[in-house]
Amino acid sequence: MSPLRLVPVLIVSVLSACATGPSLILLTSEEGKQGSVAVLEHDGIRSDDVIDELNSWTNLSGRPHSSSIDPAKLDTRLRRLLEDLPPAPVYRTLYFLEGTTRITPDSVPNLEFLKSEIARRPGAEVLVTGYTDTVGSSDDNDELSQRRAEEILKGLVEQGIAISMMSAVGRGERELLDKTRDNVSSALNRRVVVTVR
Amino acid sequence: MRRAILTLLGALLIAQPAFGEIARIKRSMGNATVQRDGASLTLQPGFLLLTGDTLVTGKDGQISLTFADDSRFSIGPDSHISVDRFEYNARSQTGEFVTRINHGSLAIVSGQIARSKQDAMKVRTPTSLLGVRGTRFIVEVPQ
Repeated sequence: MSPLRLVPVLIVSVLSACATGPSLILLTSEEGKQGSVAVLEHDGIRSDDVIDELNSWTNLSGRPHSSSIDPAKLDTRLRRLLEDLPPAPVYRTLYFLEGTTRITPDSVPNLEFLKSEIARRPGAEVLVTGYTDTVGSSDDNDELSQRRAEEILKGLVEQGIAISMMSAVGRGERELLDKTRDNVSSALNRRVVVTVR
Repeated sequence: MRRAILTLLGALLIAQPAFGEIARIKRSMGNATVQRDGASLTLQPGFLLLTGDTLVTGKDGQISLTFADDSRFSIGPDSHISVDRFEYNARSQTGEFVTRINHGSLAIVSGQIARSKQDAMKVRTPTSLLGVRGTRFIVEVPQ
């Protein structure tokens, strides 16, 4: 068979693979960032292929091969699938008056914003995460951060938000906003982050 | 008595998320259910997903959900998708996540677990095992 006669046969087999086998479409992140997906196994064989070509289509049966696609030309069904992804979680940070579990006046608008986000998201989940500065032992700070988180949660309950959609966790002095040494008082680090999913 | 039970439940919820909860349904349309221990459960916003659940949609079905690590799923029609493993530590923001797509279509935006360690989030299809290293993609498995 001459090489020329092979070409149509190859095209047909590639098209049928598109139509019948499992496949992956890799897109840019919502912030336009790079991402990738590794193929760790295909057809029972271990693999070290990494799909990192953004806006590409890749077959997942047989050795993976990627080809570029135009994300603006995805068919209606796939566009719909992407549009139906839940909205990205939102986060707001509330700061505390020193020596209290009361938030600073500057934090009040953030609390109002969070309440409206909770109201407009069906099946919302609210996660309240407390943090401390580095004054005191890390065990005590784990406990203090938990108490701060629970204080905010109680405030949200008082404003009519169902407790069944909320939870609180304390992360102590992990993830300092202001990267201080140990035993340093910091208003920036005394905070609670509220996530609305 | 009922009030006392509710207060007790409230106290438990303050300490940690509902036991075993891994994700919440945000929206479902058409024929869309969760199969759990042989039962087929109807969905509504706020429905709590557990590890081992299988999400099933019919011809006109659609399900959107958000996981405890901020991962987000959109499931298209004629799909059969199981969450085989989901372990997440909210304090350390690390975990393991394995989803199996038997057939159908799934759009994913990955969350904290995928960020925590290389290939901590995996997606299995009938022909492959994927390690998710970031962000937004669609997996399709024709029936």
